[in-house]
Amino acid sequence: MIAAFSPFLAWRYFVQRRINWLSTAGVMFAVWAMLLVDSVFTGFVSSIRQDVANSSPHLLVTDLPHDTDYQVLQPVIEAVEGVASSAPRLRHYGLLQPLRAPQTINRSGSSQIDFDHARSGFALLLGVDPARELATGNLRDWLARESPFGTGSSPLQGNRLEQYPFADVDERQFGFFGLPGAVDWAARKRAGLPIEPDVTDHRSNTPGVLFGYERALRLPWLRHGDPMELVCVSFTEAGGKVTLHTHPSRVAFAGCYATGHRGFDEPTVLLPIETLRTMLGADAADPDSVALVTDVAVRVRESVGPDALPALQRRLRDAVQKALGGKTCSVLDWREQNPVMLGAIASEQAMMQFVLFVVMIVAATVIFATLHLMVVQKTRDIGILASLGGSPRSIGAVFLGNGFAVAAIGTVLGVALGVVSVRFLNPVNEWLYATCGLELFPRALFDLSGIPVRLEPSWIASVAIGAMLLSLFVAWLPARKAARLHPVQALSHE
Amino acid sequence: MSAPVLEAIAVTKDYRLGKQPIPVLRGIDLAVQPGEKLALLGTSGAGKSTLLHVLGLLDAPTTGEIRYDGERVDQRSVAERARLRHRQIGFVFQFYHLIPELTALQNVMLSGMMATSVLQYWGVRKAAKAAAIAMLEKVGLGHRLHHRPAELSGGERQRVAIARALVAEPRVILADEPTGNLDSQTANGVVELMFSIQRERGLAFVLVTHDENLARRCDRIVRLRDGAVVT
Ligand SMILES: Nc1ncnc2c1ncn2[C@@H]1O[C@H](COP(=O)(O)OP(=O)(O)O)[C@@H](O)[C@H]1O
Ligand SMILES: [Mg+2]
Repeated sequence: MIAAFSPFLAWRYFVQRRINWLSTAGVMFAVWAMLLVDSVFTGFVSSIRQDVANSSPHLLVTDLPHDTDYQVLQPVIEAVEGVASSAPRLRHYGLLQPLRAPQTINRSGSSQIDFDHARSGFALLLGVDPARELATGNLRDWLARESPFGTGSSPLQGNRLEQYPFADVDERQFGFFGLPGAVDWAARKRAGLPIEPDVTDHRSNTPGVLFGYERALRLPWLRHGDPMELVCVSFTEAGGKVTLHTHPSRVAFAGCYATGHRGFDEPTVLLPIETLRTMLGADAADPDSVALVTDVAVRVRESVGPDALPALQRRLRDAVQKALGGKTCSVLDWREQNPVMLGAIASEQAMMQFVLFVVMIVAATVIFATLHLMVVQKTRDIGILASLGGSPRSIGAVFLGNGFAVAAIGTVLGVALGVVSVRFLNPVNEWLYATCGLELFPRALFDLSGIPVRLEPSWIASVAIGAMLLSLFVAWLPARKAARLHPVQALSHE
Repeated sequence: MSAPVLEAIAVTKDYRLGKQPIPVLRGIDLAVQPGEKLALLGTSGAGKSTLLHVLGLLDAPTTGEIRYDGERVDQRSVAERARLRHRQIGFVFQFYHLIPELTALQNVMLSGMMATSVLQYWGVRKAAKAAAIAMLEKVGLGHRLHHRPAELSGGERQRVAIARALVAEPRVILADEPTGNLDSQTANGVVELMFSIQRERGLAFVLVTHDENLARRCDRIVRLRDGAVVT
């Protein structure tokens, strides 16, 4: 039985001894930090994961042999149960040089390892079949990316990057990312290329390339339709001799896209797959050529849940390998397509939670130290309580109760402060930015219009319960010491 | 004659200094009758406080027995001894031993909270508070209820301690030099108060002192020298 004096005295001590307020503040700040930092981090992580997922097709058939023909694979892939559609992809690399460059360009970046993709013109070329890609991947979303924070705040809209609404206008034009004749005519004129005297006589047939919006932002003088020289390089080997081939082509800047995943958007340039195939020598007009692909993007039917996905991946791989005559390939889900990025943020999150755990340990140490000090300072009181007939258990309960008050009040205040901070983080951030130009978080760096915060009730519960248990555990040690003191020695304590 | 309320039988107490046992009490036989005023007289270091602690079950005898109402109690469990101490004994110390964070009233009320659970106490809290106030009024501190010990004089503090010892209605008061820290006039007032309440309630009273005059006002004097009773 815990006697009535235990909670009574615990509360009096808590109120009267200022040192308790210190440890309450410690618990409060630890809980607050755990909630606020974690919710911002969880917000960032889930927004990054969302962007990474957005940049990836449901499944990607990849590691295909050289010279794989999409016409062979397409019926095989689409016959697999659970596959909704597929789209061919051809990856290569190249250099892009606008014909009309307003200034001499420093192609090397600012340091040895900084290689400016936008200025040097180096690009990972991703050839896509626009119509099939539209049905299979997230191309429509990439072209007019809706932000999770409402309209006007997507990278494209937020950066005032005008977008020609291809997908909704003309199927033929869209097939080669082509711009309207008038736009093409004006761009040729700017670049000093030969043009028809009359605009209406001109019909555009220059294939378009789409830049990730960050690349476009770094070339602000670039306008829709601006013609560019695109050069790819390939190698052939014959009789032990390697030959290098360059493939030049003329393309036009057709606009921007944004997946939100920086690692994808920065280097990748989208272009019509036929253009790239032709450049690499697989001209559709040549009857011997194949519909060259390096990968096939696959859209999975909605009826296939996350649990059924691995089985589908295996079925798909087996079917494709059979069609390839036993040659191997891989079928990756969106996570497997981005292992480095996702692994990095997962380990960062683990590190951060560890740091927060250390914060909690520090707060617990403060509780321990203050309560221990209390027991030493209150040794005589312990003897008095014993002489009045207080049982050791109830005397220990005084100090445990004191620790409980510290933990409970600190946790409640910390949770309240945490919830309020998370709620008002964005308004405060905006207000600071508006009034003193101060930014708590560099939004531009993350392409976000606000700080993504996400406070999970389960996290609040586990932080609160964890803080309480940890506090009670560390309070238990001084309480036990108090309970075990010898009454006479305690009474004569100076 | 009725049975003694409190009894020490062949009680010895050794303290250990290293391996060497130091005898502090050397075979004490003592019986306290109900309603009697007993003075324990002895010089400093004679073992008076130690005997009082052993009698009040705050400390265990090395050998010998302590009996309450004829029953041996010194070997009972810690919790049981705490309960007995609460029910039977009221301590008054030389240095008052009040809890500095609590007001006079709270210090007295604290004594009533020792043996009841939180829920039980909640039911009787008003009565308990009224009893504490009545007790403080009885010791003449009705106007000092909400003062902290630091805001009270030595005599007032000792009156609070007396009220605290009495509010749990014990049968024996063990007072360890209760006036040792007070000037003679204040001491006199405190002694008068203790004796009048003792008479009124028929309490047994063990008064430790080294003051012969004070001892003579008791019913019986037991002299202690070097841990033994001198006859
Ligand atoms: N904890 C202890 N350890 C060792 N010796 C002690 C301890 N407490 C008291 N003593 C010794 O016991 C003797 C009796 O002490 P005490 O009972 O306080 O005497 P009194 O109250 O008569 O002045 C003293 O000589 C004292 O030094
Ligand atoms: Mg003494």
